[in-house]
Amino acid sequence: MTAVSTDTQKYWNALKEVMDPEFPISVVDMGLIYDIQETNGAVNVTMTFTAVGCACTEWIKGDIENRLLEEQEVREVNIEVVWDPPWTVDRLSEEARERMKNWGVSSR
Amino acid sequence: MENAALLKEKVQEGFMVEGMEDMNEEYLKALKQTLTIVGDTELLSVPPLLTVYDQAPTLNNKITALAIMQDEIGHAHIAYRLLKDLGEDTEELLYNREPNRWKNPYAFDFELSNWIELGVFNALFDRAGYTLLGDAGEHTSYGPWRRALVKVDKEELFHLRNGEIIMKSAVKDPELKKKVQEAVDWMFIMGLEFFGVADNLKSRSQQIEYKLKGRTNDELRQKWLSTAVPFCESIGIKVPAHYDEATEKFVIDVPFPCKFDAENKKWLTDQPDTWENVIKRFKSRGPQNQQFVERIQQGAKELEKLRNEAV
Repeated sequence: MTAVSTDTQKYWNALKEVMDPEFPISVVDMGLIYDIQETNGAVNVTMTFTAVGCACTEWIKGDIENRLLEEQEVREVNIEVVWDPPWTVDRLSEEARERMKNWGVSSR
Repeated sequence: MENAALLKEKVQEGFMVEGMEDMNEEYLKALKQTLTIVGDTELLSVPPLLTVYDQAPTLNNKITALAIMQDEIGHAHIAYRLLKDLGEDTEELLYNREPNRWKNPYAFDFELSNWIELGVFNALFDRAGYTLLGDAGEHTSYGPWRRALVKVDKEELFHLRNGEIIMKSAVKDPELKKKVQEAVDWMFIMGLEFFGVADNLKSRSQQIEYKLKGRTNDELRQKWLSTAVPFCESIGIKVPAHYDEATEKFVIDVPFPCKFDAENKKWLTDQPDTWENVIKRFKSRGPQNQQFVERIQQGAKELEKLRNEAV
């Protein structure tokens, strides 16, 4: 039997705790996460980075993997990095925009 | 000087200095000194990092290290740009200043020995930068600098976390853990020295009176210790300091300051020293001072030479 979870909200919530290495904004609020699926304890994350030359791809992927593995039922995490659609500032959440505004950093 | 007393009172009450018209000579001088130290420290952090960056274990680690160096050069640019606005000749400052006149910390006058040391450099020295600049970001009375520090603060946190990641992953391997310990053994006390002379030896500080910074040297040293010590302990790395419950302060377990064997990068903890001697050691500079500054100036000098030949 294959149990495909339709409710991946808890994983989205978990990734709200994984911060971008530079600005303390979560990878979710940065708009880096495109999709999360869970099948029998295997979580498949589809994500992107802000740039192909992002200096922290391994770092961010490691942080995401470690956080998801903290969930009791999760035994493996597969991360697929995609570049389409490309990341733009439009993907920043309202919360991210507000925080950046607070720091005097443009989100446009 | 009534003018000075008035300005000191104003900035203590929250007045933000925005331009030269708001300053007196003393303020301008102290501000320029501070920004020169900051700019030199940011810029001269790059040559030591460069000595080992090609030892990065993965390509992405290497790109991270380069991103950090790019940040540091950006931070230096901010400080020098502010100096330029204050009337300093930054071309002269950068390209024609003698190596021993640069104000970067003594700790940056050394080549690193391995990749692990780059991690400890980020985790301890960038933490010192984060502590010092965080204080300025919170308290400085110079408006243009305070606003520029928002971005710097976030980036320094990134450097510090990179160092912690390198150290954390290294201690899982017993051989590498030894290297982490060796690096911390010389770099921890260097980190303590970043904050300068002990408070009780300083009669007064223009930096504090004009609120260029908010906390004293010893307060900042305590702040650095309050995160550096627990972090090192959490990964099983020994440091010569501990938290004292009774005084609610971190206590340094070795004579501080003490003498340093620059050739072997070893602290001679059986030979206590005075701050006076430490300042002398700072001023006589570390082994790589000349080479590192020349590297910074090399491109500009070569270009200048080519220009002269063309004429």
